[in-house]
Amino acid sequence: MYKLLLCLRYLRTRYLAFICIVSVMLGVATLIVVNAVMSGFSTKLKDRLHGVLSDVVVDTDRPDGFVECDADGYPVPQRDEHGRVVFGPDGNPVPVPLSPEKAIERILASPAGPRIAAVTPTIESFAVLQFQFRGQTLTKPVRLIGVDPKGRAAVGGFSEYLVRQAGAEAPSFDLTTDALDRHDWNRHRAARSRVTEVPDFPPPKKLPPLPGFPDLPAPAPPVADLLAPPPPDQAAMNAQMPDARPAGVILGYTIAHFRYKDASGQVVEERALQPGDGVTVFAPGGEAGGMRPVWGSFLVTDYLKTEMSEYDQSFVYVPLEDLQRVRTMQGRCTAFQLRLKDYDRDKAFVTDQLRALFHPRSGAQVATWEERQGSLLAAIDVEKGILNLLLFLIVGVAGFSILAIFTMIVSEKYRDIGVMKSLGASSSGVMSIFVGYGLLLGAVGCALGTGLGLAITDNINGIERFLTEATGKAVFPRDVYYFKEIPTNVEPLRVLFVNLGAVGIAVVFSLLPAWRAARLHPVRALRFE
Amino acid sequence: MLVAENLHKTYRRHAVRVPVLNGLNLEVKAGEFLSVVGASGSGKSTLLHLLGTLDAPDAGRVLLDGRRVDDLPGRERDALRNRTFGYIFQFYHLLPELNVLDNVLMPAYIGHSVVGWWKSRSRWRARALELLRKVGLTHRLAHRPRELSGGEMQRAAVARALLTNPRVLLADEPTGNLDAGTGGEIVRLLRDLNREDGVTIVMVTHNLEIVSATDRVVRMVGGVVTEDTPATPRPFPHPRLAAV
Repeated sequence: MYKLLLCLRYLRTRYLAFICIVSVMLGVATLIVVNAVMSGFSTKLKDRLHGVLSDVVVDTDRPDGFVECDADGYPVPQRDEHGRVVFGPDGNPVPVPLSPEKAIERILASPAGPRIAAVTPTIESFAVLQFQFRGQTLTKPVRLIGVDPKGRAAVGGFSEYLVRQAGAEAPSFDLTTDALDRHDWNRHRAARSRVTEVPDFPPPKKLPPLPGFPDLPAPAPPVADLLAPPPPDQAAMNAQMPDARPAGVILGYTIAHFRYKDASGQVVEERALQPGDGVTVFAPGGEAGGMRPVWGSFLVTDYLKTEMSEYDQSFVYVPLEDLQRVRTMQGRCTAFQLRLKDYDRDKAFVTDQLRALFHPRSGAQVATWEERQGSLLAAIDVEKGILNLLLFLIVGVAGFSILAIFTMIVSEKYRDIGVMKSLGASSSGVMSIFVGYGLLLGAVGCALGTGLGLAITDNINGIERFLTEATGKAVFPRDVYYFKEIPTNVEPLRVLFVNLGAVGIAVVFSLLPAWRAARLHPVRALRFE
Repeated sequence: MLVAENLHKTYRRHAVRVPVLNGLNLEVKAGEFLSVVGASGSGKSTLLHLLGTLDAPDAGRVLLDGRRVDDLPGRERDALRNRTFGYIFQFYHLLPELNVLDNVLMPAYIGHSVVGWWKSRSRWRARALELLRKVGLTHRLAHRPRELSGGEMQRAAVARALLTNPRVLLADEPTGNLDAGTGGEIVRLLRDLNREDGVTIVMVTHNLEIVSATDRVVRMVGGVVTEDTPATPRPFPHPRLAAV
């Protein structure tokens, strides 16, 4: 009983203890805040990394898409009507292509089939995007993806990131009337600029009249026929013409927008490509065994804004059939995007099954989105681990302050320890007073630190704004991270671990002074002046 | 009742051996008020510590009711100090963080677990209040030791020593830090306790004027008992003390 009484009494009356509490509190609060922000960043980053990636991707390194394989994974060569193997321009046999429909059929018929929620074929390729901006021709390296918008939306991670068609169940590459108007205006402007560029030719010489033909007067200028119907609207006509309908393209947001800081240091965003503006894409052709550049023109119809700069500055979506046409790979594709019904449960099983279907020897790979972003995800974890280790040293410092202060308190309490022993207190009892005291300081420090940490985490954006205003320097530059707010995510289990660790350190560091107190000989303690 | 047989004790300080007790023999009878006198360094306090199992002798034995107590395991000696012996010190040694009542209750706190204390707390509280009434400190219950005078602190210490109804009270110069008048009060209090409640008291002092209140005086020189006489009956308090 006396142990509890004295612990509580020492806690209330020793001001030195306050220092221990504050150091534990600050350590715990820092750990909680840093962990919450790190975890917020990593969760948000994971969300974004997952973002446009589907759960599982099957893709092939062959530019001509998936091919039929034999049991060993070798491509099955095409044969002509005489049964002879057909060779491509590179001298290798041309394999039999595997159509997306057949491949999907096989995927769904495999044991993994029932666990797959959606699957869609895509064509992915590196490409160069070229467009006009303020009288200049600019190029950007991009990742060109041909998708069936409805199928891609079903796999997830697509339509929710579209700017105009955000969350649409069936997004499309169709152009809006405004976009078509813009396209029309662009065309007229280009035509006008071409006309002005035409040099002034000298007026045609009047030819001498041919013999035998009367010299007729020049025809009178046509009189406007007021009764004739007005000429049809050009844009409407263009929209109605099936062949004239240009293919749409969905651009990564950063490709179409320039961000820079103006003279006053403000971040300015300028739209370089409006919906309806034309872009040209250069990509490698999709023939077996040959590398031939191909290109196609598309009109901007929408933007993809994942807030993940890597995706926003490189992803370019075009309709699958248009890309198949441009790359001359009709009826073929280079990747399948899959969505699983329960990703965490089924990812291993489904990838195993798919690997059996698509042999790596044929250039095909099966990977979950995590495997694709493995190094980045691992880097986040490593970073978090190291940061935690470093920050725990803060609590370690708090532990040493407990050690120092406890040693002081024990020396101060020499005589009291002797008195307690003379009144029948055991050595273990005296020890447990001080260990209990350490525990109590740790617990109080942790409780306050947890409160403080959670409060800071909760108001971190307000604090950041205040600091930015006070110091005049951006603490959290939003244009770097593409986050509107500092993301936080408090993991209860981690908070618990931080608390347990801090209390543990407080107890461990109070052991030595407590042991010294317990070992104290009562007679010597009583004589202590 | 309490017997010391051939006690030897030597302190070592920086490799220098300081013999304090050299074969001391002493018997304390039940219900006796014994005073031990001697010059500083004669081993009086050491004798008290050995009798009360606070320290262990290098040689010799301490017997309580015929049972050897100096070599008992730590836990039993702790229990003995908690219930059988009561200590009074020259410098009172009250715990500064606790108020008078809590200080008096300290032996009960030490002797009980939280649950045990919770069950018996009203009994102990009543006992402490009774003792505090006896020593005249009922108006000082909630005061901290630093707010008390020396005499009051010593009276609180006496109440603390008596809480568990000890059979032997070991007083180490209880008046050494008090003026003559206050010291007289404390000695009178001890004598009353001895006479009325039958508490055996061993009091160490070098104040020859207060020994007259005791039954027997033992003089120590050089770590042995040199003189063992009944105290000279003198009117108490001594006229000179009364004059102060």
